[in-house]
Amino acid sequence: MKKRKISPSQWTLLGLSLIVVLVLAAVLFKGGGGEKIKPALETSPAESPSEAAPAREAKKVQLFFLSEDDSSLHSEQREILAGPSVVEEAERTVKELIRGSDKGYISPLPPETRLRQLFVTKEGVAYVDFSREIMEKHPSGSSAELATVYSIVNTLAYNFKPIKKVFILVEGSEKETLGGHINLSLPFVPLYSLNAR
Amino acid sequence: MTGLNETTTKRLTCFSLLFFSLLSLAAAQPTLRVSAQDNDGYTRVIVTFPSSLPFALEKDGTLLLVRVNSRSTFRLKTDPVKSRLIKAFSWAKSNDLYIIIIEARHERFRYDPFKVEKKHQLAIDFYELAAPPAAKEPAAEVRQAPPATEEKKELPPPVQALTPAEGIRTIVIDPGHGGLEYGAKGKFGTLEKDITLAIGLRLKALIEKNLAFHVELTRDRDMDVSLENRAAMANNHRAELFISIHANSSYRSHANGSETFFLSLNASDEEARRLAYLENNSADLDKPLASENQDDIRMILWDMAQSAYLKQSQRLAEIIQDELNSLLGTKDRGIKQAPFKVLTGVACPAVLVESAFISNPQEERDLARGAFQENVAQAIYRGLVRYIKLLS
Repeated sequence: MKKRKISPSQWTLLGLSLIVVLVLAAVLFKGGGGEKIKPALETSPAESPSEAAPAREAKKVQLFFLSEDDSSLHSEQREILAGPSVVEEAERTVKELIRGSDKGYISPLPPETRLRQLFVTKEGVAYVDFSREIMEKHPSGSSAELATVYSIVNTLAYNFKPIKKVFILVEGSEKETLGGHINLSLPFVPLYSLNAR
Repeated sequence: MTGLNETTTKRLTCFSLLFFSLLSLAAAQPTLRVSAQDNDGYTRVIVTFPSSLPFALEKDGTLLLVRVNSRSTFRLKTDPVKSRLIKAFSWAKSNDLYIIIIEARHERFRYDPFKVEKKHQLAIDFYELAAPPAAKEPAAEVRQAPPATEEKKELPPPVQALTPAEGIRTIVIDPGHGGLEYGAKGKFGTLEKDITLAIGLRLKALIEKNLAFHVELTRDRDMDVSLENRAAMANNHRAELFISIHANSSYRSHANGSETFFLSLNASDEEARRLAYLENNSADLDKPLASENQDDIRMILWDMAQSAYLKQSQRLAEIIQDELNSLLGTKDRGIKQAPFKVLTGVACPAVLVESAFISNPQEERDLARGAFQENVAQAIYRGLVRYIKLLS
């Protein structure tokens, strides 16, 4: 009767510690993977390619930016940390897009914007949830809104096969437009005709 | 995946709850409140005024408009709508007029308003009417309604009143943005909403002076109008053409020129095929349907009404762009397709004209000049004349 029962909360604690130990072990042996617990919700400095440890696997992605020369989207190659899933890689890619170009291209996303969350449905629709700055700091205008939308949509669809369509959310909810023009209430298919040749 | 969807929904709910509670905290201004509740056999909408204010009611298709005259400013607070008959509330305002828009799910309803004087309340009871059989005069349905206690005027019969009676043809001109939503802003402070209104008014004058068309503006002053209501206005007026006027803005400071857009369906190949089927068979939509599901079909198409008019819209865009090129002296950016919110629900040929770039300092100065605005209006007008001739 005096035998101690393990309460559910203790089980949880036990489980959690087990996970921590496992993850620590993974980090020690593989030398990476901190993102596994907290999938890239905050930008960790180690994620920028320059500081990435050489042992980590990198993936090359094409980011699509605006150029002052013409109104099409221009690609710029960037290395991001690979794996473990498309969602994590897509998150890193969108963050690089917000961070901007190294070649002097224009990023059509307000730099204050944060990526809040990203997930991909079975049907291949990526829901990309941005902070309010993507609307509040947006200059509005048809061309500006088209550039913002399709730099995100083309970048994601071009680099990730499982992503067929992109639905842009702001602060967790569906918005009509960014600034009164382009319809955000339907998912976007990529429009590669906007990309420069 | 459902789990994730649920998370999003929960966040959405939390966020909107927070938003609305903040709103109510900030409500130092008098508040006008609108709510709807389903009862047995009718839906009651209650409008609570901050004080006793004069108002007038008008039914317009699926909408019931409550016009309220007041010089003081107040906030509008709407309770979330969960009703089988009432779809949504929205509102528009100008200097001393507020219009509360009560949107029903369909136009077959009658309403019975009465005042609750003590509480400064207006209660409007909505009764759903049965779909009129094709043989019967729809007006007869309405006449069965008991007379409204407050409003002496005849209830307008639903759609028929909006049909042009003696061949009156309507063009709807949509000056982009307005009110708090000012659109893009130039480096010298020019606002897109002011330019679009100036051009819109000039275009209206040109058409009414020279063509046998009635022009309806989605706004004729600086006021907020939702994108959905702009499209609804075109459809409720049975517009034959819809022209949305805008001034462009880009992240690129050198971006310049004029372009004309029509809607892109933003659809996958498979979806595009399905929509193309609709488009190719859209002639059928004008014929009376044998089945009784006509309203269902209309409802399904409503969201993407423009998809049936893409070819005509493209032709209209080409002609207008051609005129812009010859009159404005701006760079020809051609015609383009993009998923514009304001165009999706418009059930007639519809284009969006980006006259020039307000983000380009040189073009901003142009846009602010009356002579340039007149040229934009003139170019669109000439394009319309050519398009109309093409059809006749």
